[in-house]
Amino acid sequence: MVTDVKVPQDFWQDDGMEAVITNWLASDGAKVRNGALIAEIMVEKSQFEITAPADGVLTIGKQVDDIVRKGDVIGKIT
Amino acid sequence: MLDQPTNERRLTIARAMAEAMQQEMQRDPTVFVMGEDIAGFGGIFGNTRGLFDEFGKERVRDTPISETGFISAAVGAAMDGMRPVVELMFVDFFGVCFDAIYNQMAKNTYFAGGNASVPMVLMTSTGGGYSDAGQHSQCLYGTFAHLPGMKVVSPSNAYDAKGLMTAAIRDDNPVVYMFHKQLQGMGWLGTEAGATVNTPEEDYTVEIGKAKVVRAGTDVTLVGLAMGVHNALKAADKLAEDGVSAEVIDLVSLVPLDRETVINSVAKTGRLIVVDEDYHSYGVSGEIIATVTEHDISKLKASPARVTFPDVPIPYARHMEQFCLPNPDKIVAAYRKM
Repeated sequence: MVTDVKVPQDFWQDDGMEAVITNWLASDGAKVRNGALIAEIMVEKSQFEITAPADGVLTIGKQVDDIVRKGDVIGKIT
Repeated sequence: MLDQPTNERRLTIARAMAEAMQQEMQRDPTVFVMGEDIAGFGGIFGNTRGLFDEFGKERVRDTPISETGFISAAVGAAMDGMRPVVELMFVDFFGVCFDAIYNQMAKNTYFAGGNASVPMVLMTSTGGGYSDAGQHSQCLYGTFAHLPGMKVVSPSNAYDAKGLMTAAIRDDNPVVYMFHKQLQGMGWLGTEAGATVNTPEEDYTVEIGKAKVVRAGTDVTLVGLAMGVHNALKAADKLAEDGVSAEVIDLVSLVPLDRETVINSVAKTGRLIVVDEDYHSYGVSGEIIATVTEHDISKLKASPARVTFPDVPIPYARHMEQFCLPNPDKIVAAYRKM
């Protein structure tokens, strides 16, 4: 089973707001647990935490410094 | 899947610093934190995130923009049995409060004949690279390390950041903890990926006063601290493409300075380049070179070199600032000239 790692809808209000991935705190190919902190994204100098939506092995999609918006898939967990 | 890492725990330096303070505050009720925007906001460099929610306003205290007042208050609290961690938001702001730092914090133990100690941590951000201009981008390592009475440390990665903060809080002497903004993992400051490393959850200390050989080599010794270590490691990669084997030393601490590790490395390689984002003259780079030449100049196969920030105010314009900053290409060029 594959679970997408998405930028949540409720982090900020403006749907068009651009965010940037500032850190991956888990490596590509690492085993992660549901709920573990795996990435940080930033909007206007505020950081938000991305947690793993499932147990499994992380595949990183978007890289550090890539621009993302609400709902974007930034990785997957298999 | 069995061979996948299961215990990976990568932290940014910002998180590592906060975790060390959190654990020491849980362990020791005399530890508290003070500074500008360090409570609800979590510090503008993210290094006090979560502390206010866990420990409340008595132990995580937002201060007015009055560095002289709150750093002096920390000195008094430290001498009266507390272990304060105070933040001077940018090291550039030292000018208004230096009496509290070097005439009180650094000297009171000496003036008291050893009958009083000042067990406090002064944490402060250093470094540029993100166009914040001449009053928010300096390193000033040499300025602090020059003055007796306080230890000075500066981590290059999250593992050392956590262990050094824990060691600094437990130390009975005042410790100046200088963290480079580009290593914090905050994004808007520019982010050096190499600073975000595996960091154990349990508490531990990294010895203050001990340098680390972070890459072994035989042809040249590259010495740096904080951001300089990452520039040196990238330069070592470039040199390796041409068959040059560079050894990289992370000083970790400026006071006490681990001169022995530097001397031993140069005895092996015969060549020395110091990488320092602080100003060129009268600083860490000159001290490291003097250390080696005073000890045994016959070990040197070439004159030592330094890659540093020129003796000018730090420019705001991106191209001008980047022109001035140390980088891997400048280190490689310095080696070529040897």
